[in-house]
Amino acid sequence: MNPRSIRFRLTIWHACLLTAVFVVLGTLLYIQLGNYLEDTFLDTQSRRAQQIGATLTLRAPNLDPEGIARELTSIYAPEHSNRFIRITRDNGSLLYISGPPNDQSFDPREVPPVEPSPRREFTRKQEMPGGPPLLIAASKVATPGSGSFLVETGVSAAPIETMLSRLLVLLSFGLPVVVLVAAGGGYLLVRRSLRPVDEIANKADIITQHNLSESLPVTHTGDELERLSISLNRMIVRLDDAFQNSKRFVADASHELRTPLTILRGELESLAQEERIPAPERERLGSLLEEAERLSKIVERLFALSRLDAGEARTQWVEFDLADLAAVTVEQMRLLAEDRKISLSCESVEKVHIGGDRARMKQVVVNLLDNAIKYTSEGGAVRLKVSVSGPCAVLEVTDTGVGIHPDDLPHIFGRFYRADKTRSRQPDGAGLGLAIVKSICNAHGGEVEVESAVGRGTRILAKFPLVSRTTGPFRSG
Amino acid sequence: MRILMVEDEGKVAELVARGLRAERYAVDVASDGNAGWAFANTYDYDLIILDLMLPGIDGLELLRRIRKKNEKVPVLILTARDATASKVENFEAGADDYLTKPFAFAELQVRVKALLRRGPLTQNSVVRVGDLEVDRLSQQVRRAGKRVDLTPKEYALLEYLATQPGRVFSRTMIVEHVWDQSFEGLTNIVDVYVRHLREKVDEPFSARLIRTVRGVGYCLSDAAAP
Repeated sequence: MNPRSIRFRLTIWHACLLTAVFVVLGTLLYIQLGNYLEDTFLDTQSRRAQQIGATLTLRAPNLDPEGIARELTSIYAPEHSNRFIRITRDNGSLLYISGPPNDQSFDPREVPPVEPSPRREFTRKQEMPGGPPLLIAASKVATPGSGSFLVETGVSAAPIETMLSRLLVLLSFGLPVVVLVAAGGGYLLVRRSLRPVDEIANKADIITQHNLSESLPVTHTGDELERLSISLNRMIVRLDDAFQNSKRFVADASHELRTPLTILRGELESLAQEERIPAPERERLGSLLEEAERLSKIVERLFALSRLDAGEARTQWVEFDLADLAAVTVEQMRLLAEDRKISLSCESVEKVHIGGDRARMKQVVVNLLDNAIKYTSEGGAVRLKVSVSGPCAVLEVTDTGVGIHPDDLPHIFGRFYRADKTRSRQPDGAGLGLAIVKSICNAHGGEVEVESAVGRGTRILAKFPLVSRTTGPFRSG
Repeated sequence: MRILMVEDEGKVAELVARGLRAERYAVDVASDGNAGWAFANTYDYDLIILDLMLPGIDGLELLRRIRKKNEKVPVLILTARDATASKVENFEAGADDYLTKPFAFAELQVRVKALLRRGPLTQNSVVRVGDLEVDRLSQQVRRAGKRVDLTPKEYALLEYLATQPGRVFSRTMIVEHVWDQSFEGLTNIVDVYVRHLREKVDEPFSARLIRTVRGVGYCLSDAAAP
């Protein structure tokens, strides 16, 4: 799982927030419940203390401890109900104290005497050694004739503690479960709502300038993603328009330039051959004519490129042997290499059948060889190799030429790209040869790769899909 | 020889007509399809040069009409469309040859001459230029009576130049004729072959026969070099 994905991060945030909320809520609940229960218990105890006080007031003139003890035991039975009752005289001596409770949760005699307090009624939480604390309410009673007493009633806080510890257990087990369930659910939910993003990304990866007419999938969910995919699709349409416009422009421009170029060349040509014009002027006219010719070549190549862009390569689709084509072309160009004292060799495996426009494919071989020969100095070597690698036919042209600088490598198949100044002096080049190679390769479902080391040479690989031999014994030379 | 030129681009029409008139052809110029059809329907021409992009009747339609009326007149198509598909279309519609704009006028001249020669005029199998003899039947070349050995490509190049001695052939024409379309743009190969050809045909002898016309191309001529 990618820890930087939106899915993952949203889930983690979700889980953290949920945990924090639960911890805060649980803590508040724990404290509030504890306080509430203590208050309730103390309230009950202080009411009891007042009742006992009222009893004492009734019996005021003759208070004998046994009578009191009997009466309190019969009314409240503190030992059975695990309560604590103590009545103390003003001078601190005990009038009554309840016996040890049935559950032995505390010893009444170990309850320390109360601190003096100015208030008539007050409560306290008395910590007991080796047991739960006691919740004690105290009430001062003044009786006519027998002086005043302090009545204390108490009860063990054990039930509260039991309840709170159960709550704690519940919270500490429940919280991770709840967080896990919520995080898992959240993950699934986020993944589901982000699935269109994956689909959009996958589709967007395969859209290039050649299939801009395709569009991204739109999920009709009415959410932000729908909006995003619609916006992206609109952008693709605009891009497509822009591409079409620029292609159309190149096609139209190269078309429109033809007529003026015809006139220019025709007039110059007739002047260049005009016997009445002195030789030096004719020479200059010849120079003009050369430039006009170069211009025509550029226009023709641009037009060829725009036709390739428009996918016109399929008009002459045949099956042919690339090895044969390469061998024939090498022979035709041998003189060009020998003229520059470059050794030109060709090696290939038998019969490499590919489908395509044979004339255009030949142009690929010619352009690659021509380039290799052009940029290799005298005494160098140019090697052409045709081989089969997996489902591909590989055309490989290696030279021992000047090489291409790494900065230029990504651009050499661009239109009008000049790798360096020395190359631009080549009178013949229009900077379109390799662009045409690439366009033809792409039109044949192939691709071109280049490796180069400055000063050591360049290797260009063009790969095309092989024709499966099951399609029939068709062979074209 | 009477030629009809149907071309809406006035300057191109004028240029071609001027060049052809200089060669002593009678040239009629029509600037749209309707005028073209009117001319073609009225007179008998030895050759019709037809631009495909025409106002009025479209070039291809005009070609079909001309073919319906006269099956034999050679038609040379001028086109700015050079997609392979439209080439096939042109030939199917009955064109004898085509030229893609921008073309070299030298190329047009060669094609016009070739188209006009079709038919009765048979060519001598041996072409003589100065003391050079090119025998097209045995494919042998002699200069001053001595045999010159040429490679097949060199021979093809020389034979092509010899088809019309004195005429300038552009490098593009030579490439298209001696090699094939995919060598388009590789006109430097022509220079290399011409140099080799000169070493064998010209250098051992006093007079230079293969001439370079700068910016235009090469020609085979025994006229003294200017």
